Amino acid sequence: MSHIAVKNLAVHYDGYCALKDIEFEAGKGEFVAIVGKSGSGKTTFLHALAHFIPFSGEIAVPKNVGMVFQHYAVFPWFTASENIGFGLGDKSGNERVQIVREHLKLAELEDKKDKYPAELSGGQVQRIAIARSLAHNPEVLLMDEPYGALDAYTRDKMQQWLLDVWATHKKTVVYVTHDIEEAVFLADRVLVLNHHKFTKEFMVPFARPRHEEVKFTPEFSRLRKEIFESINSFEG
Amino acid sequence: MKRFLWFTLPIVLTLVLWEIISRSGFVSPALFPPPSKVAVALWGMITAGTLFSDLRASLWRIVAGLFVGSAVGIFIGLLTGRMKSFANALSPIIQILRPLPPVAIIPLVIVWFGIDDGAKIFSIAFAVFFPVWINTHIGARQIPQAFLWGAKLLTASSMKIFREVIFPAALPFIIAGVRTGIAIAFIMVFVSELAGASSGLGYRISITHLAYRIDEMIAALIMLGALGAIADQLFVFGTRKLFPWIKFSSK
Ligand SMILES: Nc1ncnc2c1ncn2[C@@H]1O[C@H](COP(=O)(O)OP(=O)(O)OP(=O)(O)O)[C@@H](O)[C@H]1O
Ligand SMILES: [Mg+2]
Repeated sequence: MSHIAVKNLAVHYDGYCALKDIEFEAGKGEFVAIVGKSGSGKTTFLHALAHFIPFSGEIAVPKNVGMVFQHYAVFPWFTASENIGFGLGDKSGNERVQIVREHLKLAELEDKKDKYPAELSGGQVQRIAIARSLAHNPEVLLMDEPYGALDAYTRDKMQQWLLDVWATHKKTVVYVTHDIEEAVFLADRVLVLNHHKFTKEFMVPFARPRHEEVKFTPEFSRLRKEIFESINSFEG
Repeated sequence: MKRFLWFTLPIVLTLVLWEIISRSGFVSPALFPPPSKVAVALWGMITAGTLFSDLRASLWRIVAGLFVGSAVGIFIGLLTGRMKSFANALSPIIQILRPLPPVAIIPLVIVWFGIDDGAKIFSIAFAVFFPVWINTHIGARQIPQAFLWGAKLLTASSMKIFREVIFPAALPFIIAGVRTGIAIAFIMVFVSELAGASSGLGYRISITHLAYRIDEMIAALIMLGALGAIADQLFVFGTRKLFPWIKFSSK
């Protein structure tokens, strides 16, 4: 059963073709990663999935979609807990407090709940962004290079954290990154976006739960290399 | 302590220098009274009660005009900044009014509304409106799309998005606009009181001029300057208390 289905999608920015002939499916609870060079249309694809921008073709996604943006993920004028609570106004006061508390815990930021984003590290801010999306219990989570601005060490820790969160929440995730290692480590399936089209698909065979060590196996390196070549050998 | 010294030392030095020059005989003490005489005049204005009533009159006009002008400027600025149709409808009118030096409307305001407080508050509000509107407009236009898209996924209420996303996102610009507005409000209150009033610091300066009381004139000027500086500092302090996150924003 597919949870997201895209047929014959194309996106144009005043005449400039950013995406074309896009076919895409994701199953419920699947973790799909999309890799590709800068400018290949990764962000555009997520924005089309969220119906932020006009497109042609068909996109079927569940109604409740969450998004973690490449930049400006959280509101600088709200504290960590205010950010997580934003938009939960239709819930009763008690329920809201409960949800915020749970998600602060999930983000491991209980002791920072009254801090503003500017007072937190990049990794902490992205955990707020992710927790804020999850607080709305979305069926699909779209993530646009959420760790793109983090240092390698923090990124490794945050990848493990994300896998733990995903293991408990089982959301359908579409995860955009330019980091092939990250894509292979996190995803069930990796799609390569080359010059506005999906050109290749790789299944990731590693068992879950996954841990850091898998990155140092020969199978991992081989898969990484294959994906790398499919991006770099592509002649647009 | 060191900061206190740096703050007071230039003031003390200026006063001493001024006192010496005034008493040196090179200048006329009537035209250029020494600070000691100005202080006596100030004391006289305090004990006579005129200083207090002048301050109160001017301050009320400034605060009311600033409030009205800023409120309208913020409201219109958010609308023109975020809604194309509003921008198209209002821009021509605003653009024609904008190049007018605001003090130029004072004679017309006097003819229309007279010289009571309402007329002065109108003039001040009119002048304050423009910098607040323009800054708010720019502030509302520069909001990163991700904030708005993100907010839309999290709430269906456009009221909430306006209040809790668009307003704070534009706030650093709004604050810059209001701060310019404060300086303009001081110009406007002074000129409109010169042009016709029976109280206020501007009025006091105009009659001391007629009475040739330069000491009182300088005392009133110093009060006006001090009031302006205090108002600006209070505003900065107030916005930091009200919006603690503002100190992190680059603007
Ligand atoms: N709002 C826009 N208007 C016009 N062109 C755009 C717009 N947004 C993106 N583009 C263009 O569309 C193409 C795809 O952009 P997109 O942001 O989707 O790339 P990306 O794969 O996310 O790149 P990156 O890895 O750098 O984030 C680029 O060539 C870009 O210049
Ligand atoms: Mg991108």
